[in-house]
Amino acid sequence: MLANLERLYDQHAQPLFAFLLNFTRDESDTCDLLQEIFTKLARQPALLQAARDERAFLLRLAHNAAIDLMRRRGARTRNHEQFGAEQFSIFAAASDPDAAAFRHELSAALGELPPDQRAVLHLKLWENLTFEQIAAALEIPPNTAASRYRYGLDKMRERLRPLYEEIK
Amino acid sequence: MNDNFEQRLRRQPLRTIPPEWRADILHAARAADHPAPTHRPQPIPAFSFQFSFRWGALAAVWLVIFALNYAARDTAPVVTAKSAPPSPQMLLALRQQQKLLAELIDPPAPSDADKPKPISPRPRSELRLQFLTT
Repeated sequence: MLANLERLYDQHAQPLFAFLLNFTRDESDTCDLLQEIFTKLARQPALLQAARDERAFLLRLAHNAAIDLMRRRGARTRNHEQFGAEQFSIFAAASDPDAAAFRHELSAALGELPPDQRAVLHLKLWENLTFEQIAAALEIPPNTAASRYRYGLDKMRERLRPLYEEIK
Repeated sequence: MNDNFEQRLRRQPLRTIPPEWRADILHAARAADHPAPTHRPQPIPAFSFQFSFRWGALAAVWLVIFALNYAARDTAPVVTAKSAPPSPQMLLALRQQQKLLAELIDPPAPSDADKPKPISPRPRSELRLQFLTT
């Protein structure tokens, strides 16, 4: 079981980390949630046996765990607090000032989105999942996933338009 | 603009997971899978297990007592049959025995020789005089 756990970590921990970090906007919460997920997998190895797609199943576990956490703590206050943190970014640091500014603004703009739209945007843009896969991971209808993506992307475009036009 | 914008977003590299998390998270998961035995005192179970030998010995003693009691008891079945009604001859004999017993137990009527002397009512001074003269 330990070898399988290590394999799962090596294959899926990075995308789960990025998704959870974007969703919770908090590195400590992300660490706690990752630990919770892998502890659950260690305790119940049979969980993954019925899963057709490991990645989609793990993303669903991560999403549910993150929602539970936000419900416990109060999502809105938490998001606003995190949005206020100037140094926080879900993106890698950039040496180029324009790229760094864009990533910083992009991270902030993502933080302003409702968590549901942010989750869909993340899975579509940075996990390259189809709407069907996103729907399965988030347990929503595919049409809902598509509409959330459209709304979220429109908001991002409006929010980042000045900066995007400037550095395009 | 949509395609370009989307492509631009996709190209932004996400932060990587801190490498030191791997050991911590896997260690925590492993610990949860095989929880270490805790030696915290548990009041009631610990107390009962501490004296388990004594409870066992006491139970064994009781078992021996029950076994001896069972072996020593009267194994003959107790028959509680209804007795037949007594015959007239038996009743007659019983009455005669009762009569004889009553005669033996009851004291006979006292004879005249045994009767106490009647006390003549005399003054006590006369008695004293009689004593002195005697």
